Amino acid sequence: MNNIWGDMAQYDPVVWNWIIAIYLFMAGLSAGSVLIGIGMRWYSKDKHIESPILKASAIIGPVAISLGLACLVFDLTKPFHFWLILINYNFDSVMAIGVAALLAYSPLGIAYSIIVLRDELPKWKLGFLVPISHLLMPFRKVIEILLFALAVGVGAYTGFLISAMNAYPLLNTAILPALFLASGLSAGAAGNLIVALTCFNSTSHDDDVMKLHGLDLPVIITEMMFLVMLFTSLYFTGGAAVDALASLTQDIWASVFWYGVVGIGFCIPILSMFLPSKARHTKAMMLTVACCSLTGVLALRHFIIYAGQSYIS
Amino acid sequence: MNKRYVMVHDENKCIGCQACNVACRSENDVPEGVTRLQVRVEGPFGEAPNLHFKYHRVSCQQCEDAPCVTVCPTGAAYIDENGLVSIHNDKCIGCMYCVAACPYKVRFINPITKAADKCNFCKDTRLARGEQPACVTVCPTDALYFGDANDSNSDVAKLLNTKVTYQDKTHLGTKPRVYRVPTKRGGIQS
Amino acid sequence: MIQLNRRHFLKGAGASGATCALASLLPGSLAAIEKQPLKGIASEVASICEMCSTRCPIKARIVDGKNVFISGNKEAKSFGGKVCARGGAGHSLLYDPQRIVKPLKRAGERGEGKWTEISWDDAYQFIADKLNTIKQQHGAESVAFSSKSGSLDGHVFHLAAAFGTPNTFTHASTCPGAYEVAAKAMFGTKMKRDLGNSEYIINFGHNIYEGINMSETRGMMQAQMDKGAKLVVFEPRFSVVADKADEWHAIRPGTDVSVALALCHVLIYDNLYDSKFVEQFVVGFDEFAAEVKQYTPEWAESVSDVSATAIRRIAHEYASHAPHAVVDFGHRATFTPEEFDMRRAIYAANILIGNIERKGGIYMGQKASGYNKFAGEAVAPELSTPGVEGMPKISAMRIDQVEKQYKLMWSSGGVYQTIIDATLEAKPYQLKAWIMSRTNPMQTLTDRAKVEKTLKAMELVVCCDLYISETAAYADIILPESTYLERDEEIADKSGKNPAYYVRQRAVETIGNTRPSWQIFKELGHALGLEKFYPWENIETLQLMQVNRDHSLLAHIKKMGYVSYGKPLMLREPSMVAEFINSYPNARHADHDGSYASAMTFKTPSGKIELTSAQVEEMAPGRGVIKHRPVQLKQADELYFIQGKVAVHTNGATHNIPLLANLMSDNAIWIHPITAGRLNIHSGDAIQLTSSVGSEEGTALVTPGIRQDTVFAYMGFGSKNKELVRATGKGIHCGNLLPNASAPVCGMTIHTTGVKLAKI
Repeated sequence: MNNIWGDMAQYDPVVWNWIIAIYLFMAGLSAGSVLIGIGMRWYSKDKHIESPILKASAIIGPVAISLGLACLVFDLTKPFHFWLILINYNFDSVMAIGVAALLAYSPLGIAYSIIVLRDELPKWKLGFLVPISHLLMPFRKVIEILLFALAVGVGAYTGFLISAMNAYPLLNTAILPALFLASGLSAGAAGNLIVALTCFNSTSHDDDVMKLHGLDLPVIITEMMFLVMLFTSLYFTGGAAVDALASLTQDIWASVFWYGVVGIGFCIPILSMFLPSKARHTKAMMLTVACCSLTGVLALRHFIIYAGQSYIS
Repeated sequence: MNKRYVMVHDENKCIGCQACNVACRSENDVPEGVTRLQVRVEGPFGEAPNLHFKYHRVSCQQCEDAPCVTVCPTGAAYIDENGLVSIHNDKCIGCMYCVAACPYKVRFINPITKAADKCNFCKDTRLARGEQPACVTVCPTDALYFGDANDSNSDVAKLLNTKVTYQDKTHLGTKPRVYRVPTKRGGIQS
Repeated sequence: MIQLNRRHFLKGAGASGATCALASLLPGSLAAIEKQPLKGIASEVASICEMCSTRCPIKARIVDGKNVFISGNKEAKSFGGKVCARGGAGHSLLYDPQRIVKPLKRAGERGEGKWTEISWDDAYQFIADKLNTIKQQHGAESVAFSSKSGSLDGHVFHLAAAFGTPNTFTHASTCPGAYEVAAKAMFGTKMKRDLGNSEYIINFGHNIYEGINMSETRGMMQAQMDKGAKLVVFEPRFSVVADKADEWHAIRPGTDVSVALALCHVLIYDNLYDSKFVEQFVVGFDEFAAEVKQYTPEWAESVSDVSATAIRRIAHEYASHAPHAVVDFGHRATFTPEEFDMRRAIYAANILIGNIERKGGIYMGQKASGYNKFAGEAVAPELSTPGVEGMPKISAMRIDQVEKQYKLMWSSGGVYQTIIDATLEAKPYQLKAWIMSRTNPMQTLTDRAKVEKTLKAMELVVCCDLYISETAAYADIILPESTYLERDEEIADKSGKNPAYYVRQRAVETIGNTRPSWQIFKELGHALGLEKFYPWENIETLQLMQVNRDHSLLAHIKKMGYVSYGKPLMLREPSMVAEFINSYPNARHADHDGSYASAMTFKTPSGKIELTSAQVEEMAPGRGVIKHRPVQLKQADELYFIQGKVAVHTNGATHNIPLLANLMSDNAIWIHPITAGRLNIHSGDAIQLTSSVGSEEGTALVTPGIRQDTVFAYMGFGSKNKELVRATGKGIHCGNLLPNASAPVCGMTIHTTGVKLAKI
């Protein structure tokens, strides 16, 4: 039958687009970066030196979340009414819980950055913030713990946000928050490495950098495991969920998955590990691998957003 | 007692003529390019000569457990005292979470108000005047029934008690209040 | 008075920015005039729809001072207060920025699309000067008048008569003419069908679930759903009616006549027919029975691809429900050159089971005068027809009158397409001017190229319309008519089984500088110096003349919009007759069988139902008896090309209306998967159809809902003039593929032809 019922544009199942994918990426990057920065501090022997990795996370944490939130706000159809979300809360909504978390996470992140970067601030003509860092210093431990907990929440939240939509088999899965948290860690590690190497004169043979580099493999293996779990669970769920497996073989998003997520995000970092140690530990190689990881995470967010919404039960 | 407004779409009587679609636009001032209600004539399915069309009403299902209401961060989407899924335009910021979350894909952003929009059984227009929804009013073949299912004397209550009906995507736990009488040849296709 | 904000209105009417900008370039359009406040006449007005020719009773309500909401008028019971998509979209036409609201004069060549605005007086004067000159030089008969049928043709044809030309045409020969002419030949009058009470309905592609006629659509659905009637559909494509049917037979296009005749064969030779009825009311049975002897179901199967077993079974099932069963005689679409005998064969199948004037069968209807006579009292007021004395005697013959075979069509709208030959070949004589009102022959007549040539050959072309339609694009003068929501009109007779009247009334004040049809043609008459033929002042005085100056009756009709009188009456239905007699003490006594059968009169030469017609034999020798004649509708390497109506458009007038154009603006061509597979065509592919007269490019819709040897398109798309911004160039123009040919006796344009399909 011919279409006699009018425009179908509004029924395009893909409602959230690349802007949301970038927001999810930025939020994951921010949370992952903070988790790794603080985590490594807790495991480091000398807690009095602010390591280049921690400084990197102090920059990435607030900047990434701010950029992400900017994406989110300007993707609203009423961006200038965004404040309404700050005064109206529906705590059944994952987004409302996320907003509350971000409302605490963002200022805490900035506060923590001021503490960590107190010696760098004057170099960036932000010396006027130094007195604040002194005021905050006594609360460092509390802030650190709170921020760490909130970062876990924010990292997982990005997954919960889209997994709450139960009509989409590819999204509506318990694995998604864990997957997003893991890939956020991957992004955070890569981001921290890049900023540490380029902005804080860290060398590729620093202890911290080596440790961070060592995280790559376990994180990638975790991500791969989660993805395998995701797709096998779809396979065994049956019905519309099986249809969603077509996302791995059809259309542009299958290419994004295999080339972007698997090829660039997983294979290149893993293959790089088979390089001779000398080549592997050059600054250029490390930056390259880190960029690949970031690209892979960005591709994963796009794949999940687009392919996820394309298959509706 | 509060009302439990439901709609029944008899796919045997429906001829897919779009009178409902047009009446809805006229009554509710629905802007060009967006749609609160359409009836898609899908198919034909089957093997000739035993073909059949499916007359698929696409509009808000007025879920009792509405995903759009659950996900709305500001509470702009809500269920009113009579069970109608409704929208506070002035609370909506247009995050499109509800549009994405709706399993039936029947919510959209109204290009004039910039808020989420959808069928509300003509709550603000015809129901407010004590009339039936626009689509029910004009339906040439009386394929639509609307009323309070809590009232056992209502047409809809009688119909639900006597006819085989199905609802779309019940496996998602949404408990839709739009019921469908399956076509005798097509059978139930939720 | 309700004030309406125009800007809001335009938004509501769905004017997107792009179309607005384009339309504002169009002189005389609503978009080009200054903004003005809009006013509703009342909060709710009862009126008559005009979105298609069915003219259903409606109510128009002003919603929140912003919009017009149209529903059906509940006073008309069989219409149920319902309205279809077309009817509901009336307001979208009303406030369409592309509507023409000022008279226009052609500035460039015909069809070039250059227009200047002109005053009404100048327009009238221009037309009058030209017409009077043509009349002097070539005679009044060299001017043809054509009009949409319904309320408007009266206004146009009165002017034609006053002017002195016999050449008046409605769209009948492109649409409903065949079933009317066949009924006239057999019953002497048009027939109605009582689908709502039918127990068994046989339908030859009368798609009333898409081409909605509200009371019939509702009637058939109620019969099917509430009363369990069985519906059998013979149609080459799987339409909505076919879907709703209990059985669908994909009949070969144009072969319906063979199946109808085979049904008659079984009814007669299996002795299933109502011999008493035939004996009493029918002439020509023996000739018919002798002819039909050869038309066995087995023979019909070889012609139509419908199985003989099925035909035999259907005939038996049908007869078992007699007389409450019907074979629907259809409406539009001339499937075959043998259209006349196809419709006659269908009527024959009804006559044979004696369903005439029986519930669920076919009937003639009761107007006030006859009804009152039966009742023995004035149950219903009788309207008078305001005649005008001293109308000029017209001696010239109609252009379709040279062919005597079309005699029954002369008074039923005429053979519209004879305008082509008269203009291009002076057959039977030369036409020089064409005055049109709300008719779009460029879409609805066949062979578009010839129609275009005809328009270009005229000395004067005048179009009264709402848009610059594909035809109006070739006019010298365009007279913008007010839409039906802005017009008052005469009271119309809407009698069915009992007398009824209804009236069109304005719902909103006129927008722009448009005028109602009665005023336009009256004023044009004045400009032509024919004012003596217009003894009425305005529509009010005309209405008052109709009701014999009974003010309260007029007020009542206007208030209700639709009024009906008395009880439904079918003359051979004893239960109805009994109830009628109960209600009216002075009513005519029933016959011994409890019916009014003895009062049935047929306006045929014999006074009976003419199964075989001496009159037709005289008009068209060899055609008195209904028979089958083989026809070739396509070449062996071609596909049948057939058309039909969709629920959201008419066949040629609604495709630019914003709301409806937004619902559907393209007519993708139905192609069977096997046919498509041979040419590697998939849904959505660009395809080309080529016939003997033209070629069209469109889109494919691959579907099992069509025969392998047939392609189907919804009618009315693919306009080629640039003024119809939303419709032009979208879809296939059916008229451009159909050759200009007329069916014998009924004079219908034929809508089945052969086409070659190609992928492009």
